[in-house]
Amino acid sequence: MREIFFYLFAFLSVAFAVISVTHRNVIKGGIALLSSFVSLGAVYFTAGAEFIGIVQVIVYGGAIVVLYLFALMTMDLKSFGKEPLRTLSVAVGGAVSLVLLVSVLYAGYKFYGGAVTAGISGAKEIALPLFYRFLLPFEVVSVLLLVATVGAVAVGRREE
Amino acid sequence: MTPFDFFVLSGLLFAVGLFGVIVRRNVISLFFSLELLLNSANVLLVGFSKLHRNLFGEVFVFFVLAVAAAEAAVGLAVVVALYRYRKSVNTEDFSILRW
Repeated sequence: MREIFFYLFAFLSVAFAVISVTHRNVIKGGIALLSSFVSLGAVYFTAGAEFIGIVQVIVYGGAIVVLYLFALMTMDLKSFGKEPLRTLSVAVGGAVSLVLLVSVLYAGYKFYGGAVTAGISGAKEIALPLFYRFLLPFEVVSVLLLVATVGAVAVGRREE
Repeated sequence: MTPFDFFVLSGLLFAVGLFGVIVRRNVISLFFSLELLLNSANVLLVGFSKLHRNLFGEVFVFFVLAVAAAEAAVGLAVVVALYRYRKSVNTEDFSILRW
């Protein structure tokens, strides 16, 4: 049962990712990206990473994509204009990403490892390494978020 | 689920994201592709974390999420400022930034 849902949501996330990258309308691309992230959250659930799945949906789906869509609302979508399809860049992009995909698949094929056993890791299990072993990085991340917030406000401010 | 499945999912997401970074000219679409690249790394981190029965990978995913949120906030602020200045989000209109 878990395997079926893993493959289903993995397929969905890749399909929505393809839509979000190739769609000409940016808003529809954003919605497809949202669906892709929610499907990835479901993939994490099927792998037993419960807390990461929840955080994926909240942070990526609820915060980041919504932030992009809000920023798009402040822009005039009609002024974006058409993106001409350049054969050269499509060929180069396709070739590079295909080479990368093949090398990743080759590495995965050569990789020896047993089956993935899914113990469920909820907030309680994550909290132990996060707050004991990785407490300093955790605090540094809070500083990073503060700096990013101040920087975003400073950059996005309208000059008078 | 074998580790290979995680490799396949991660590789496909990374390939799609890289294709978008190379082909798209709209800055917002470029950001979408960047998020896909970050997510493909997260998939493998979760997969290895489950394979080794060790939660450090999932803790690292947590940090990647925080960095992605910071990147999205600062990047969008830059894009909105540039849009105000140029009335465009096409990367070719920002060639003045090139040395």
